[in-house]
Amino acid sequence: MKVKLWGTRGSIPSPGPETIRYGGNTSCVGVTLSDGSLLALDAGTGIRSLGLAHGEEPARLHILLTHLHLDHIQGLVFFAPAFRPQTEIVIWGPASPEASLRDRIARYISAPLSPVEVRELPCDVSFRHCPETEWEIGPARIRAASVAHRGPTLGYRIDDGDSSLAYIPDHEPALGADLERLDEEWISGFALARDASLLIHDGQYADAEYPEHVGWGHSALSHSLAFARRTGAERTVLFHHDPCHTDDFLDGLDAEAREAWVAGGGDPAAIELGAEHAEYELPAQRSTPAATV
Amino acid sequence: MSQRPLELILARNLMSALSTPAFLVDEGGLLVFYNEAAGILLGKRFEELGTVGPQEWGAMFGPFDESGEPIPYDELPLVQAVRNGRPAHAEFTVRSADGHSHAVEASAFPILTAHGSQGAIAVFWPSQANSNGAKPA
Repeated sequence: MKVKLWGTRGSIPSPGPETIRYGGNTSCVGVTLSDGSLLALDAGTGIRSLGLAHGEEPARLHILLTHLHLDHIQGLVFFAPAFRPQTEIVIWGPASPEASLRDRIARYISAPLSPVEVRELPCDVSFRHCPETEWEIGPARIRAASVAHRGPTLGYRIDDGDSSLAYIPDHEPALGADLERLDEEWISGFALARDASLLIHDGQYADAEYPEHVGWGHSALSHSLAFARRTGAERTVLFHHDPCHTDDFLDGLDAEAREAWVAGGGDPAAIELGAEHAEYELPAQRSTPAATV
Repeated sequence: MSQRPLELILARNLMSALSTPAFLVDEGGLLVFYNEAAGILLGKRFEELGTVGPQEWGAMFGPFDESGEPIPYDELPLVQAVRNGRPAHAEFTVRSADGHSHAVEASAFPILTAHGSQGAIAVFWPSQANSNGAKPA
């Protein structure tokens, strides 16, 4: 399984000279499965680059949406494969008692916010609510589960061979909870991330920023580290950077994360802040750690 | 050990921050958590007790009706709420670990989700008929 970060930013795109290295595009991760199948995790503005990079291929792909906040769907109408009649796109996402996934996404892909309507997209697009039970896409087993954020929000786990990817970009598991003391079964997202080869997790706030953002649905650095440590993920990438965080600020946060990880007995190479275009190859054999490409 | 549904996790987190005694059961009606305020009422913290079955719970804390007879677990508001998917309310007496009885009113409501009932929450209040608090059993 190959993983590439196409958008690492949260909330709103933040291009500019101060965000070049970590990137300014919002959430999107490309996953190439062992049989070559392509998945896109979320459709923030990063999915535009993913679409352009793949040219006329693939003919069929799956987009797994964690939730429908704008920073996770904004790239859909700029995703080149959606405008090719020969492409089949399956969009998965959380169910809601209010309206179908298609109807909720159509609120964005419709006038006056969009020049095209869902029904006008040239591709063959379908919308599916994620099932409660595990399902398969190509060689991978996919699991989705609700996680602590604002509104119906999912995290995903993708198992392909012996490697596993957990993707929980918007997550506040420490809201009203002590992650160091709680039993595993009471920690939001725990089962998704348990012993994952690679965990991509919310790391929006520095600890000093969190008190002003309690309940906003995101994690402080120490919460992300505690979650990663408790779940036993082999490697963790912190993701969904706050739009106000410059490259220099994120360098400092990266150093702080590694220092705290080492202080907890961890390998400093097993924790990092996600940077746009970073790639990871998850080995088929669990004995080999995830490698940066 | 399987993962609890998010709605139960969030309910527990909320209850942990309340100063009102509150109890949480899972979709099967099994008591899976009560908060610190409930622990004070019962004289035993949840961390000391852990998850217990109906019979063990009844032997320790009751509850009891006005004539002092044990109320069957299935008739408790919490269990009624989770099984019927409707709110439920009742007055009864619970016995704390130190042997004192407390007359309370309990209001329970189910936790209904897109995937059906995931459990129920009950909040206890001192009974208005006996708001003076504890009395010897």
